[in-house]
Amino acid sequence: MRALITGAAHGLGRALTEELLEQGHEVLAVDRDTEPLDDLAVKSRGACSVQLVDLANPNSLERMLVGLWEQKFDLVILNAGISASGKFEDIPSAAYAKLIAVNLQAPLVLASGLVRRGAMNNKSKIVFISSLSHAVGYPGASVYAATKDAIATYAKSVRKPFRKHGVGVLTVFPGPIQTDHADRYAPPGAKASRRMEPEVLAKLILKASTGKTSELYPGLTAYFGKLYGRFAPQMATKSMRKAIYEKLEDPVY
Amino acid sequence: MAKNEPRQHTILITGATDGIGLLLARAYAERGHRILATGRRMIADDMAYFGLPNITYIRADQSDPKQAAQRIATAMYNLGWKQLDLAVLNGATGWTGDPAAETPDEIRKQIDINLTAPILLSQALGPWLFVNGGKLALIGSTAIVKGQGAFATYAATKAGLDGFARSLRSEWQDRAEVMIIHPGPTRTGMHKKVGLNLGAAKAFFMSPKRAAKAIQRAIRKGDGKRFVTRGYGWGSIFASAKEGQL
Ligand SMILES: NC(=O)c1ccc[n+]([C@@H]2O[C@H](COP(=O)([O-])OP(=O)(O)OC[C@H]3O[C@@H](n4cnc5c(N)ncnc54)[C@H](OP(=O)(O)O)[C@@H]3O)[C@@H](O)[C@H]2O)c1
Repeated sequence: MRALITGAAHGLGRALTEELLEQGHEVLAVDRDTEPLDDLAVKSRGACSVQLVDLANPNSLERMLVGLWEQKFDLVILNAGISASGKFEDIPSAAYAKLIAVNLQAPLVLASGLVRRGAMNNKSKIVFISSLSHAVGYPGASVYAATKDAIATYAKSVRKPFRKHGVGVLTVFPGPIQTDHADRYAPPGAKASRRMEPEVLAKLILKASTGKTSELYPGLTAYFGKLYGRFAPQMATKSMRKAIYEKLEDPVY
Repeated sequence: MAKNEPRQHTILITGATDGIGLLLARAYAERGHRILATGRRMIADDMAYFGLPNITYIRADQSDPKQAAQRIATAMYNLGWKQLDLAVLNGATGWTGDPAAETPDEIRKQIDINLTAPILLSQALGPWLFVNGGKLALIGSTAIVKGQGAFATYAATKAGLDGFARSLRSEWQDRAEVMIIHPGPTRTGMHKKVGLNLGAAKAFFMSPKRAAKAIQRAIRKGDGKRFVTRGYGWGSIFASAKEGQL
């Protein structure tokens, strides 16, 4: 099997790449910072190739798509994502433009581009990473929440049309993950122990990607978060406000 | 609350040159409010186009979100507005077809116009809205509920607005009233603009007049989230506001 992972250098993307290589698959690992991937490329003896792409840059993205024309994938995980946490009005508009470019524009352009160019094998799968914020809201990261809701609905929308091209779609709604991303954006004092290990999450995602599941809320936090959000949406957002917004210090973007 | 007393309100409506936005601008203007209407077209004579003296139009093309937000802020400043009582962020565009055929440019354009522009505009409007607890109404679409195979990016941008509104409503709860209103299928020119011929399906669509009326009702009530379905449209027939009310 041949896979494409975006945001492969760190966190969940790295765990996904390592796990796939472990299972004996080939991976094209994409990131804007490829140095941390060099050891994997060497160790895997060619199974892991690395490509430098800046997803915030439309030209870089387009160059990548054009360069992929003769490759075929069985699994694509559009994992790269950034955040901006802080009061909505405290973050500069340029940071929002970049957030939307990386979290929303890039995955849409890649997904439709890969399918259009025939770069997806028959019975292949595209995995979108949304967030548990889809269920509970996210005061203190309202534009991040916007991108993650948008991704979830895009995935839902393309499920049928992509199936006609032989491509399945899986959307993942992870809760907090124990990665640098979470450390960077979480309010001070947030408990790291409640976050899911990226290696554990990577295994759950890869398992789900081989099955018929179309939406994955991985682990107990995500499962209960989804229920909370479904049955008491306003209360869920209030809890998020208490846990995050009211503890915010300086904005991070 | 003081803000419900009949008086002349200051109202911003984006995408006010056609469809629901145009009807909203006229309806509020008829009740005596002052309207700043925006859109992407050039309009030479505001009075001839809108038919009412209290509507000022400026061109603010949302495909450049930052510039659109700046132009609108400048226009409010030039009008001498000290506060904003209501902003209806309604301007939007779409694309229809197999999502695999949607080009990067089409995707980017819809995200800029439908999502980034309202977000940057909300940020610019904050200080004006906070003066008197104004309302910020974002216009979504019922397409977000199940997704839309033929309008994938459009549906995504509207879901983005939903997620944005939900979180921002909580963030701004003591300063401004943020809401998201999701209209159902409405018989405006929007479908034709994106090359979609509705044919007989049109019969099942709401009339734009009814949709505009229902949206005004939802704005008055201030529900955090409202789906303007045909049922809610019918329910809004007698929900008329008086002179000076929103
Ligand atoms: N009609 C429906 O079935 C339906 C259903 C659900 C939600 N909605 C939503 O309701 C709102 C109003 O839609 P509508 O049906 O009234 O559509 P419409 O008649 O096409 O009106 C849309 C307005 O947005 C303006 N606009 C388009 N692109 C723009 C840009 N780049 N910069 C600034 N303004 C721009 C249009 O200007 P021009 O006149 O120059 O085109 C027009 O004034 C939209 O947010 C739409 O997504 C509509």
